[in-house]
Amino acid sequence: MKRSWYATPYALWMLLFAVVPLLFVCWYAFTTPDGAFTTANFREFAKPRYVGVILRSLKLALYCTAVCLVIGYPTAWFLAGRGFNHAQSLVVLILLPMWMNLLLRTYAMMTLLDDNGVLNAALQALGLGKIHIIGTEGAVLMGLVYNYLPFMVLPIYTVLKKMDYSVIEAAEDLGCNPLRVFTRVVIPMSVPGIVSGVTMVFMPAVTSFAISTLLSNGKLRLAGDLIDYIFNQSSNPNRWNIGSSFSLMMLVLILISIGFLRKVDPDSEGGGMW
Amino acid sequence: MVQDMRLIELKGVCKSFGDTHVLHDVDLYIRKCEFITLLGPSGCGKTTLLRIIGGFDMPSSGEVLFEGKDMTGIPPYKRRINTVFQKYALFNHLNVYDNIAFGLNLKTPEQLGVKTKKEKKDEIARRVGRMLKLVKMEGYEKRSTDALSGGQQQRIAIARALVNEPEVLLLDEPLGALDLKLRKEMQLELKAMQQQLGITFIYVTHDQEEALTMSDTIAVMNGGRVQQIGDPKRIYDEPKNAFVADFIGESNILDGVMLQDDLVKFSGTEFQCVDEGFGTNAPVDVVVRPEDIMIVGEDVGMLAGTVESVIFKGVHYEMMIRGEGAGESILWKVHSTTMQPVGTRVGMTIVPYNIHIMRKATTADAVPVAQAAEEEA
Repeated sequence: MKRSWYATPYALWMLLFAVVPLLFVCWYAFTTPDGAFTTANFREFAKPRYVGVILRSLKLALYCTAVCLVIGYPTAWFLAGRGFNHAQSLVVLILLPMWMNLLLRTYAMMTLLDDNGVLNAALQALGLGKIHIIGTEGAVLMGLVYNYLPFMVLPIYTVLKKMDYSVIEAAEDLGCNPLRVFTRVVIPMSVPGIVSGVTMVFMPAVTSFAISTLLSNGKLRLAGDLIDYIFNQSSNPNRWNIGSSFSLMMLVLILISIGFLRKVDPDSEGGGMW
Repeated sequence: MVQDMRLIELKGVCKSFGDTHVLHDVDLYIRKCEFITLLGPSGCGKTTLLRIIGGFDMPSSGEVLFEGKDMTGIPPYKRRINTVFQKYALFNHLNVYDNIAFGLNLKTPEQLGVKTKKEKKDEIARRVGRMLKLVKMEGYEKRSTDALSGGQQQRIAIARALVNEPEVLLLDEPLGALDLKLRKEMQLELKAMQQQLGITFIYVTHDQEEALTMSDTIAVMNGGRVQQIGDPKRIYDEPKNAFVADFIGESNILDGVMLQDDLVKFSGTEFQCVDEGFGTNAPVDVVVRPEDIMIVGEDVGMLAGTVESVIFKGVHYEMMIRGEGAGESILWKVHSTTMQPVGTRVGMTIVPYNIHIMRKATTADAVPVAQAAEEEA
């Protein structure tokens, strides 16, 4: 039997549950409920409230990716350091929240950030007064970062861990001070990890669903929530068609961002390294 | 060549990692433009010594002087020293050209003797071009380092270090990963480069033949101590102790008694030799190189024995000859261009200046040998 046959179950699965539904999505996106061809569905999103949602999604996903990178890179660098023997257990600690359900984690976040929650209780105990954070974009951003940070740390950690220490010594030897070792060798050599991490944080963040609704008390919708709303709650008779066209647009958006990342690191598979 | 200018001087250098003492009180000086080899078995501390000179490790005690000034605590990037690493350590995110230009790119235009950034770029291109020519890799500028063979990567690593025109080049077993033929070629090329450029080379290897081929000076190390320093011929002809004799080339090492000046007894026979100052009836180690034993007719030799095995080694035959004589019978290793069949009874002769006498490992300066033996056991 040829080796490629072993992938048959996966191929069937993908065909049935990814390719065929995608074709349906395309079909709905370009038709009216009567089945006539139209591009009107896409024009729906010129409406300011929809444009606003897309921009907010992009903005929060970008912020989330940036924050994850800023927090995640130093963490990965620390974990991958020589002579640090507890890396394995700390990696497990970083992964630990992922063993819990996303909704559960987000509900926990709600109680933490609530006006009468743990955070505010702590602040009050310190005599700093209350802050209002639940319901704001800040709370949503915290929720996104909390959920997606491990996806940034792990690929960067993997790349840094594999890096030969003599390369760093070679850079020092050739005249790099510690800062230049970092900017000229360590960061460029860890680009594949960064690209993976950025992809794996940005993609789910831009299409994230539920996190925003929960942490903003339903006030701030992101693209994922909007699609959910259109399909499930809207009274528009075209809701399947409009929802499909919106999903399709998000897909194109993600493809563009992957294309951009592939330019940065041509060897990456768009984040599929693990 | 300035013969006696001490470029680098190590004084009482010790290094421990936790409870493991890697270097014991190493004193060594390196002259300008010298090709010095640190030679020893794995674990003898030679790489650690090289790393201390390079600034990658700090000595636990003792000092490292560069042109008389203490270098301890000065980081690698501030030393006029470059290193060729054992596994090359090329930057795989850069192509061949950018790997070689790496060190130069970090310098200011003034440091390269030019004024503008444009001139710096041209100067770098000129120097990288010259290096590629030196290591015979012209035309490989745009290649990825991953696409190079081991020998090619090695050349790029050498070019990347040499292009910075260091005072000293450190080489940590740079030829270890190459096949024998390429290794021999590179040995000669490295030696030629060193003479052409007039740079001090400090070379680490465990291959005694490599050391003998390339070096002006060899420092034989074992058990974290320098056993002997000298030019290759001196090290080979006059090993200071049994360890050096055994490690450099092949040797017959025998127990003997120095009866008086110029007269030694071993294998139940008295031999004339040329060593003095051991006192009378002093126990000594006697070293005789296999090629210094001449095979003669069975009744005219100083010793007699029977050939037990013969191996053809290319240039010569290696024969194991079981000696006859009072007390224990010695198995002699003899190299000769004429073959004696197994079972032949032969005579053996050794001329006085080929008998090397060294103090037994009970005296102070031979202690490391005994210690090394313990460590290996």
